[in-house]
Amino acid sequence: MAEMHQIRLQIGPAAFRIASAWRQPLDQLAALYRDYPGPSDHMVDFTVRLEPDKPWRRYIRPSVHIGGDFWLPDAAPLPLAQGLLAAEMGMNLQMALGWRRHLLLHASSVEKDGRALIMTGLSGSGKSTLSAMLAQKGWRFMGDEFALLDLDTGDIAPFPRLISLKNQAIRAMQTVAPADRFGPEMTDTPKGDIRHLVPPKAAIDRMGEPARPALLLFPRFGHDPELRDMGQAEIFVRLTQASTNYVALGEAGFRALTRFVDQVPTRAMDYQSIEQAEELIERLWSRSP
Amino acid sequence: MIRDAHILVRALREPASVERLDGGQWSELISIARAESLIGSLAHRLADVPVPDRMRAVLQDAIGAHDLARQQALWEADCARRALAGYPGKIVLMKGTAYVAADLAAGVGRSIGDLDIMVARDALPIVESALLDAGWEWVKPDPYDDRYYRDHMHELPPLIHRDRDRMIDVHHTILPLTAGPRPDAQAILDSAIALGNGLYVMAPADMLLHSIAHLFADGDLAGGLRNLWDINLLLRHFSEADEEFWTELDVRAKTHGLGREKERALRLAARLYDTPVYRFSAGQTEFADYLYIRRLLARDGYGRETRKLIRFAFYVRSHWLRMPPLMLARHLWTKWRKGGKPVG
Amino acid sequence: MSDQNFRLSTMTPKYRAGPKDDLIWHELDSMTLLFHRPSGNTHMLADPAPALLEVMDSGLLTAAEIATRLKARFDVESGADTDDIISARLEELAALGLIAREAG
Repeated sequence: MAEMHQIRLQIGPAAFRIASAWRQPLDQLAALYRDYPGPSDHMVDFTVRLEPDKPWRRYIRPSVHIGGDFWLPDAAPLPLAQGLLAAEMGMNLQMALGWRRHLLLHASSVEKDGRALIMTGLSGSGKSTLSAMLAQKGWRFMGDEFALLDLDTGDIAPFPRLISLKNQAIRAMQTVAPADRFGPEMTDTPKGDIRHLVPPKAAIDRMGEPARPALLLFPRFGHDPELRDMGQAEIFVRLTQASTNYVALGEAGFRALTRFVDQVPTRAMDYQSIEQAEELIERLWSRSP
Repeated sequence: MIRDAHILVRALREPASVERLDGGQWSELISIARAESLIGSLAHRLADVPVPDRMRAVLQDAIGAHDLARQQALWEADCARRALAGYPGKIVLMKGTAYVAADLAAGVGRSIGDLDIMVARDALPIVESALLDAGWEWVKPDPYDDRYYRDHMHELPPLIHRDRDRMIDVHHTILPLTAGPRPDAQAILDSAIALGNGLYVMAPADMLLHSIAHLFADGDLAGGLRNLWDINLLLRHFSEADEEFWTELDVRAKTHGLGREKERALRLAARLYDTPVYRFSAGQTEFADYLYIRRLLARDGYGRETRKLIRFAFYVRSHWLRMPPLMLARHLWTKWRKGGKPVG
Repeated sequence: MSDQNFRLSTMTPKYRAGPKDDLIWHELDSMTLLFHRPSGNTHMLADPAPALLEVMDSGLLTAAEIATRLKARFDVESGADTDDIISARLEELAALGLIAREAG
């Protein structure tokens, strides 16, 4: 059986082993994750496998099948040129299906003065771009994909993997972030054009430091700027939908999420530009306890 | 890099063996255990040996996940019980759900997928309609699959509950009708044991023989290490609880036509998991045992299946076991016609 | 499948609450959340379903008996359809497995 190449990565509390039939995606990962400390003692929580879906696909029109400790039966393969994306998707999948030490919210998060702002919403809501932007303006970036809610303390733990920029957000971030922190541009992926951005150094250095959740936003892009109150029932339901492991955590998940809904001020936020969103956020933040 | 699943078998058999593992080997052990659906069992087995912190957290996650699986399996069985409350015959829980409901060691940390129940064959239509009334629906509307199931299998086509998204398999015996051996389904129902909540589990020897039939005749030995681990735990438990158990097992194996399978399962369990088996129940070692062992251990340290050739041999074999030759050709042909869409 | 003679009788069913410890209650602003331990399911209930659960216990009760308890304890308006509404909610709670239902 063909040997695989492998690399180990530590992101926030989770450690991964990425094994790949090809060198290329791992070289890209190694370059982009160069500032991250490796997991101690080579021990990892999850293994991701990037393999040809048929043996000859290693060489002929190579296509990458995403496998690993946790997997989905119907995950379509990606072309080798998108191997980096495959690796990131594989790591997300391990977290979504396997992680139980926090309640996972599909949300971005940033921190200031020990307090966290959490943004959740459907894809296209702009939560990822907003977190990346705020990270350039004095906030600490904690993650653009998963906010990890601690089951005991109620704190948010960082999970600052590479920021996954899509379509127009790539251009927007290129105007504010240093060029050497971008990964290769991948066009025509299942999600459109994608380019990864390495989080700021401070986000990586402090990826072990949790923060107290202080504000939850449901951003929605493309509508007149507005902040709205939301009922607790709606907030609760939308957060269960935004969580990949709420059901899997059983009673612990219920207790963590009800406490979160009780304690964290929440608003729906409509906006049409990053500047508007920043203004609305600053206004809310200066008033939040 | 580890090239087979021995490291997992050793850790299950002899938990202290993990103290010698380095970080890389630990990661490989975890991947193999997850791939073989034995991570929950492993986590419980390693509860009392020193384990590095990160690996302890991984094992603790597995215990939590399987606690939930256990609770859901019991709840799903209770849902079926309520749906069939008016059915007067025995409803026998099978496999993982039965181990958990009967509080057996084989249920501790075991992964449980669908709910499997067994009822009398002539009761299938009323059981089916009661389940449909209670919110279960057909998974596959495909008429070919449906006929295939009804004509040749030992179960109804799978049903899924429209709200809970959980599957139920309703069996009327423990092997496909096309398999060689013809287990005595009525005898299994007759001696099934009441749990006290209206549901039943098989008597010890039948439960073990079903696990054995499942290991050899159902599928291509995929998940075999897990099935064999079940067999190991059931054997230890039943033989300690009842010294007549080995005799009972031999008699029942004969009743169901599973004598050879029983002997081989005992030998494999003894070989891999050190199960104390009664020598005269296990028959003579055969060369094929060696092939079975190689097949069961075919998993590398990345969690990948290895030894494709031997796997393929077992796959074809498993189909031949289940269906007479002409039917196999028909089955595969219908599969190809559908453009490689998997049927099973 | 005409053979359905074993089906439950629908004449005056009776209902019984599960053990109190099966449920964790949490009040939201407009709804009641219930975490049901045996199933691991979370239910979000609107009035009067939570009130029904509050007046029920381990004894078997008909819908009419539960309605009487409800009226004694809460400010429930007695209308012609009150009993129908209560019966319908009880059937839903039974279908979710939150209460047990037995044929009368």
